[in-house]
Amino acid sequence: MSEEKKTRQLATEAAGKIPKFVRGNLSATLRAKEEGKKVAYAFIADGQDEILRAMDIVPAWGESYSGICAAKRDAERFLQKAESNDFSRSLCTYATCNLGFDIWREELDGQMPPDAPWGGMARPDMIIGSAQQLCDPRFKWPQATQYYLKDVPVFIGGMYYPPWDPNTDHKQQEKLYVRYAKEELMALVRFCEKHTGKKMDWDRLSQIVELSDRTCDMFIDAYELRKAIPTPMDTGDAMNTMVPITFNLGTEEAYNFYKDLFDELKGKVDRGEGVVENERFRLIWAAGLPSWFALNDFQYFHNKGAVFPVEVTYRVCERTDRLDLPRTDDPLEHIAWRWVRYWTNWYEKARKRPGSLPKVERIIEYIEDYRCDGAVFHSAFSCRSWHAGIIQQAQVLTKVYGDIPILILEGDIVDISTYNEADTHNRINAFIELLEKSREKRG
Amino acid sequence: MNEEKSYSKRVEEEFKNYGKRVKELKASGKRVIGYLSPIVPVEIITASGAIPIRLKGDVYEAVTTANGYMETIVCPFVRNVFDSALKGKYGFLDGLVMPHLCDSMDRTADIWNYNLGLNYFHFLNVPHVTDEPSLDFFKEILSIFISSLERFLEREIREEDLRMAIEVHNRNRGAMRKLYELRKSEPPLINGVEMMKVLVATMGLPVGESISMVEGLIEEVSERKLISDGHKPRIMIIGDQIDYTSLSETIEDGGGIHVMDDISIGSKAYWADVEVDKDPLYAIAERYLRKLKLPTFVESSDTYSETVEKRFGYLKDFIEEFRVDGVILVTFRYCDPYGFEVPLIKGYIEDLGIPVLYMEDEYSASTIPRAKTRIEAFLEMLME
Repeated sequence: MSEEKKTRQLATEAAGKIPKFVRGNLSATLRAKEEGKKVAYAFIADGQDEILRAMDIVPAWGESYSGICAAKRDAERFLQKAESNDFSRSLCTYATCNLGFDIWREELDGQMPPDAPWGGMARPDMIIGSAQQLCDPRFKWPQATQYYLKDVPVFIGGMYYPPWDPNTDHKQQEKLYVRYAKEELMALVRFCEKHTGKKMDWDRLSQIVELSDRTCDMFIDAYELRKAIPTPMDTGDAMNTMVPITFNLGTEEAYNFYKDLFDELKGKVDRGEGVVENERFRLIWAAGLPSWFALNDFQYFHNKGAVFPVEVTYRVCERTDRLDLPRTDDPLEHIAWRWVRYWTNWYEKARKRPGSLPKVERIIEYIEDYRCDGAVFHSAFSCRSWHAGIIQQAQVLTKVYGDIPILILEGDIVDISTYNEADTHNRINAFIELLEKSREKRG
Repeated sequence: MNEEKSYSKRVEEEFKNYGKRVKELKASGKRVIGYLSPIVPVEIITASGAIPIRLKGDVYEAVTTANGYMETIVCPFVRNVFDSALKGKYGFLDGLVMPHLCDSMDRTADIWNYNLGLNYFHFLNVPHVTDEPSLDFFKEILSIFISSLERFLEREIREEDLRMAIEVHNRNRGAMRKLYELRKSEPPLINGVEMMKVLVATMGLPVGESISMVEGLIEEVSERKLISDGHKPRIMIIGDQIDYTSLSETIEDGGGIHVMDDISIGSKAYWADVEVDKDPLYAIAERYLRKLKLPTFVESSDTYSETVEKRFGYLKDFIEEFRVDGVILVTFRYCDPYGFEVPLIKGYIEDLGIPVLYMEDEYSASTIPRAKTRIEAFLEMLME
């Protein structure tokens, strides 16, 4: 039996449209077979989704579905199903929740598990993962899924960016990484062509890539309106408004969503409307995926007069003109450049500040641009990719930037078993006191 | 004192005082480069004139200092080794190579680099896919690694240096495989505990001394007389960096015999050679990307059965050749690469009719009693 969570108050109308988006993505997977389309399990922010869109393959986002299960506090039964199949609780819970769902659906001969949140997700025709620097589950999860869905073909492509090294100029390695990424994206195209029986329409892909660029630019333009004091939108909403850029990149719907968001935020800024009435503290959500079952905690911050005008999490792109992308007519090469330059975007800044890190430079940039008073990190126990290294980021931030109040929350993305609301709120209370003292100290 | 005792004694000494020999060589002016995991091409470090030493942790040492720098959600082995390094156990290192084996290494590389203060640190961005573009890419990544080592050591690494290093490491691996052969008999000529000590001891020695030790041991062990006291369950251990003997001790104290491993300091590191008749850099890239049987690497096929056969088929050979009766599969907590393979590997082996005991462990002596209870129960089941 799932435990219903309390509804969080949204600051923007745009965020209120997101459930429709998410349901639309899920129902698209369920409708796909009737429409003669293939469904692919896919992963976010890996440079592959525009190819799927161009090939009319419907992406089924496992990370999204696990997040939905968590937000509805109905993930436990799927986690237990995975655990009973020897998947440890210490593994990525996006993956184990989804695996539990898949295992259950296979046990029911393709029928959805009873009362599957939002009707469930379709069985895929293919699984597209990537072995790269975003996380290990992006290739181990597809392999594990195939053990239960043996007839479903799997593609894993490599996608890397030059590693940070304070003593090396990464630009000398960029072309190598772009060339490799392009070849791996081409391998994905061949895989999709084989399993759909269709040829890639390269003109269409180019149009989609161009639309993605415009969507990224509009996304950033809209988000930068949050620099206003008071901020018109916070991270709690951003955990919703990230959906189109993350799950619908390369679609008109995504572009239009951010255009509407821009207009809405512009109006709020012009009218001086903020997320909270008396904005006392401005915070950065500096790293970490959220606890999807506890988004109400943002409301708890608001009640204390604290807002998050900016977050690193799910800010999955940068304005393309800031990436100085080399001109190319090859859409795959363009995707590769955009990928590499996004992940190395803060390297130069880090090199200029001895002892710093690119991730910390990004946080500093946002702290200054959005005039933040403190930084909050969230450490999710089941995800190493985004959460290992948070202690170091906090330490380096203090060392190279100065004494700024920092809170590191602990929990998980999907698994509610380690979450303690009272403890979390106590820590937030203590952090608010710290912010107050810090402000007094600064005068 | 006869020869056998002297070799066995040296194994014991190197096992108990890991890194002692390399420390001596460092004191005499040699350069020492540490590395983690079997995916770092040691041939390149050897070709540079430096001595490679694979870092290990200490399951009997609680992680303390590292807690202030590295999250508890990181692989317990990685945390343990980092803790050892922070505490000065590897103070003799000139540098460190951290490979992109998994998220726990990739995402903590900066923590190592910034907090250990070594003169040389290199993150080796090993791809995980094994197709042709990945192989070309990896070759370039190795070239970058070579250039960085050359700059640090102020010494050119020539093609002939690479060829010589390949030859000597192939010889080392070949010797170790011969030693493994002596585990096939019933009873084996060398037991699991002794073999684990050899595996640990040799990875902390310069490759030439490792060869001498293993070849010497082969001679001695071959002369041992087989004394059977009845069939004992023959166990294979599967896992990653199991560089301690407690599992083998528990198996052998409990009436079983540890005859084979698929662990990263054991067969995973020794089973494949670098081909000598190819461009040396290409051959090294090929060996590390395509021949190492690690969950880090992805080799896809058209069908699931082909994919799983490519990934785990060698285990069938191990089970047959070493006459394995049961498998103990050990993963470390927070390890996604191994953790997601557990049902696959378990299913594959059980389909061969071989029982599997799966344990999630924490690279800590604190879990030995719990493991002991489960292993003893497993052995009892096998002996029924």
